[in-house]
Amino acid sequence: MSAPVTHVDADALAEFRAGLITGRRGAKIAAHLASCDRCAALDGQLAGVSALLAAIPAPVVPGHVALRLDTVLAAEVASRNDPERARREPSPQTGVSARRTGSRRFRLPSPRVLTPVAAAAAVVLAAGGYGLSLLASGPGNQFAASSAGSAAKAAASPKGAASRAAAAVPSPLPVSGSHRMSLAGFAVVTSPADFQPAGLGQQVAAAITAAPAASLAQRTSPQLRACVQKVADGDGVIKVIIARYQGHPATIVVVRTGPGDEARVAGPDCSGTNPDVLNHTSLPSGI
Amino acid sequence: MPDPDGPSPSDQELLGRHVAGDADAFGELFRRHRDRLWAVALRTVCDPEEAADALQDAMVSAFRRAADFRGESAVTTWLHRIVVNASLDRLRRRAARPALSAGDEQAFEALVAQDGDPARAADTRLDVNAALQVLPPAQRAALVVVDMLGFSVADAAAILDISPGTVKSRCARARARLLPYVAHLQGNRSASESVQPAQGGDT
Repeated sequence: MSAPVTHVDADALAEFRAGLITGRRGAKIAAHLASCDRCAALDGQLAGVSALLAAIPAPVVPGHVALRLDTVLAAEVASRNDPERARREPSPQTGVSARRTGSRRFRLPSPRVLTPVAAAAAVVLAAGGYGLSLLASGPGNQFAASSAGSAAKAAASPKGAASRAAAAVPSPLPVSGSHRMSLAGFAVVTSPADFQPAGLGQQVAAAITAAPAASLAQRTSPQLRACVQKVADGDGVIKVIIARYQGHPATIVVVRTGPGDEARVAGPDCSGTNPDVLNHTSLPSGI
Repeated sequence: MPDPDGPSPSDQELLGRHVAGDADAFGELFRRHRDRLWAVALRTVCDPEEAADALQDAMVSAFRRAADFRGESAVTTWLHRIVVNASLDRLRRRAARPALSAGDEQAFEALVAQDGDPARAADTRLDVNAALQVLPPAQRAALVVVDMLGFSVADAAAILDISPGTVKSRCARARARLLPYVAHLQGNRSASESVQPAQGGDT
């Protein structure tokens, strides 16, 4: 590189182009470029590298990554802005540390792209709000407040939820006896997740921890209440998640059984007479 | 970089609102820049899953550390810096595993598209992405920030936390190293004559 009569290699040319070689050496390279077609061509190719790179269009965040980021962010917001939730879950195992662990490893399998438009959520609500409802309105209802932004995020499957709402038969099933307490004490949350059979328990646990900020509050539908009661089958209901399972609308009923918590995935045909349970899995305790 | 999405509130206002407790401000801020931040992560770590992890790490870190932002740089610069750091952290962790080592030309051979139709834009993108993987991570990050995202050397220096001279040096070395792998693609973009690069140093 030091001899001006020889060609200039790519490294030196690149440094020269970047303004890193100046003074006498820079002048020699400049003079050489002016007289050497070969090195001038190489110089042009180096310039072309930057041009080529600049011309590559920036990738857009894939839908499933965007969904995952939204979910994790919702959990962060919930953790920070919901002191009531923090009071409710004071244990380090079930509180922030568990949630962080879950969200860090959280993989949402759905490739669907959400439509983050608040109007979409409003449509779902207007259509009956089957999937966007809150069953109980008693104390401990930490999901009552919801911003328009998180409401939009909750509108994961407006089509599915709306169609379910339209298909639902308005036949309230009275809550009775020992079920009343359990049914009155849980919240219904919506999740954008599309649960898959593999690792179902982990997915549900993550969705539960991430769900609060992406939830909506509204009076529940009798159909949902009937479905949940049928699926719970006498076990205490902790939470109900309206989401999808293998691409189809699903209701995940989290119940407390003797040994621990269990998530039961009910399909679209779930009703007061047909639980339509598609899958079930145990959950880590303390969710 | 200027904020391309421009409507009020500004990035700085959003960050301030977030620090003050606004539940939606950070989400709006992050979504505003998400695609570019994703581009940085993806091109730096060269793996979609790792990039998603890196971007998530960065997002959470920025969310929690927003109060640390002192305003000495643009908010976008600050965000990009966090993403670059998260990406390089990922790569350092991955380096402990015997996967593709940066600078391994065999890795490039294995990764580059082989269907032999260089005229297609998709192939160009794939080839460039594959070629980027032959670069050491630090050089790659510099090149991505400057040449692919268009940051100035000064902004890149702030993002990468290195001096402007080091930014230039890394970019220069990266361009020279990349040239043999992308020179054939330049024919698609310009009519420049094909000249073999003087690799190996003939001075």
